Amino acid sequence: MTVDPRRGRGRVSPRAALLALLPALLGLGLTLLLDNGRLANPVLYARADLATLLLLAGLAVSALLLAGLFWSARQRGTLAEAQARAQEAAAQDRRRFLQRLDHELKNPLMAIRAGLANLAPAGDAPGEDEQPWRSVDDQVRRISRLTADLRKLAELETRPLERTHVDLAALLTQVVDFARDHAETDSRRLNLSLPQAPWPLPPVPGDRDLLLLVVHNLVDNALKFTRPGDTIEIRAFEDGAQVVVEVADTGPGIADSDLAHVWDELYRGQTTLSVPGSGLGLALVRAVVERHDGQVALRSRVGRGTVFTVRLPLKPAPAR
Amino acid sequence: MDTKPRLLLVDDEAAITNNLAPFLQRSGFQVGVAANGEEALAAVAAAAPDLLILDVMMPRVDGREALRRLRQAGNWTPVILLTQVGEASERAMALEEGADDYLNKPFDPHELIARIRAVLRRARPGQPPLAAAARLASSRLVFERASRRAWIDGREAALTPKAAALLEYLMTHPDELISRDRLLDAVWGWDYPAGTRTVDTRIAELRRVLGDDAAQPTYIETVPGQGYRFVGQVEAAR
Repeated sequence: MTVDPRRGRGRVSPRAALLALLPALLGLGLTLLLDNGRLANPVLYARADLATLLLLAGLAVSALLLAGLFWSARQRGTLAEAQARAQEAAAQDRRRFLQRLDHELKNPLMAIRAGLANLAPAGDAPGEDEQPWRSVDDQVRRISRLTADLRKLAELETRPLERTHVDLAALLTQVVDFARDHAETDSRRLNLSLPQAPWPLPPVPGDRDLLLLVVHNLVDNALKFTRPGDTIEIRAFEDGAQVVVEVADTGPGIADSDLAHVWDELYRGQTTLSVPGSGLGLALVRAVVERHDGQVALRSRVGRGTVFTVRLPLKPAPAR
Repeated sequence: MDTKPRLLLVDDEAAITNNLAPFLQRSGFQVGVAANGEEALAAVAAAAPDLLILDVMMPRVDGREALRRLRQAGNWTPVILLTQVGEASERAMALEEGADDYLNKPFDPHELIARIRAVLRRARPGQPPLAAAARLASSRLVFERASRRAWIDGREAALTPKAAALLEYLMTHPDELISRDRLLDAVWGWDYPAGTRTVDTRIAELRRVLGDDAAQPTYIETVPGQGYRFVGQVEAAR
């Protein structure tokens, strides 16, 4: 199954418009025939009137058909626009909510961290009280990380992007090198494929650190959700006016019911609940790519694997 | 006589001051507490503390306004701002308004101790901190804060915005060992999963532009396994 976030707009197809014009053309043809007298017509005096009538009838039918076509197209168009607007509004609401949540969590978390620092077991010798303290401290750090990720998401809306020429090939190599240091990587085949001929990958305009985050999150995701023995392929290529980066794996795949939601903030699929993570990694990927005027997409088959695709434009979009 | 440095902790959240003040005391400081900018300014006037820890978002006079009034009155008591939003603009503002350093909430309390010690060590009593200078100079390098431009021997060095922000932070914290995590928090405002690499890449970029040799640094020294240090002598320039 493929999920493409883009939606078509309502428009009148040229074929339908031509078909609608058919009655008018028919009327015109018959009128010409009658006028030229090539049709045997016993009622001569009625010929002119009949011709006019036929022409008018043809034109009227065509006009009605065309009007109907345009009206239904407009309805479809308005519907699509309304849907897009509603989706955008919902996304904005969600981000505003996350921002507020982050703000509300900050001060209590700060107080807890300061309190915990006060309660820290004294001295270097770990005593009996060390274990429970450590466990609480770990959990608080975990929530702190979550709020930090929420802040990233909220900030991405307004943060000014650094626009430089980013060498994606170097960036991908860096991320793969980094991933090879991961413990999980030992048992997975990690392949990086970059074009060399006829020319290497062209640079893309963008924020290097944010694009690094995108690639890192996708590779990290692949490492987390694959099993020992699986293959992870990271490939990049030029496609028209875009550079495409794909992170593909032979992992367990994503259930159809989860596919549409994996990009959502804090969404955790049924099969992923046991895997540690904030549930914000892919939401961040999407947010960064969209800020770069790119697109994300995803193909997956249960039992076969998954491909995450990121498309980034080679030319910067006009400044917003 | 007690020679412990005297801190003024300013935050409207009692839960924070109640927990942070004892922690700071245990760490070897005398601590006074104020609940907003107005109280803080009064406390500074009454008993000049050695350093202020100032929350940004507070009712009445907020931290930013309190800092501005303090600096306008020619008071250069070192200030560490506690920022809330963590946005790049707020971080830039913190330095522009004349804060000596800043931390994003929620932070590791031990990091606050490290910041306090570094700021106190750097402070020259009664004098503006480097963070208040419009132009910074070190050896052949001049950095202009507002425009974020740098010159080497009078020739402009092309810096990306992130490299400029990194250079600014390093130059306003000279001779201070700064961990990669701290740089991420201070300059990027985020922790990155591959963050340490992000910092290393930017430091390499900065060195290339400044023509600095990592083995014999004039400006940025790598402290293996710990972080970076700006080793050049930094002065406010005109």
